Amino acid sequence: MCIGPDGPNAFRRYWGVNEIPFIGLPDPKHKVANLYGQEWNIFKLGRVPALLLVDKKGNIRYQHYSDSMADIPENSLVLAMLDKINAEG
Amino acid sequence: MKIFTIAPEFELHDFDGKLVKLSDFQDNKNLVLVFLRGFL
Repeated sequence: MCIGPDGPNAFRRYWGVNEIPFIGLPDPKHKVANLYGQEWNIFKLGRVPALLLVDKKGNIRYQHYSDSMADIPENSLVLAMLDKINAEG
Repeated sequence: MKIFTIAPEFELHDFDGKLVKLSDFQDNKNLVLVFLRGFL
């Protein structure tokens, strides 16, 4: 699921246009972003991406807090991590 | 956040107003939480 700083209308529009199949959660007050420690840095042009994998037991299994707006983990890495977690049962 | 710690519970409404909680997925699905970039 995606959590972002935009409002519900922006999410609804983007999700509809791009037919995104997973959950989009507007967080315009940055409540969850701050809870999870997503960085906001004016010198990095705002909220910097972050990605976490949470297993079925609620444990954080992987985290990536980006150094820049372009620092995003490769899908292959995330999928490999999910495969590993799924193989554990 | 540290690895192998419990992810903090949260709840947000999706863009259709439905309440979504992290705990809704416990014992059911592994999750990828993506925090989107933004200028806010």
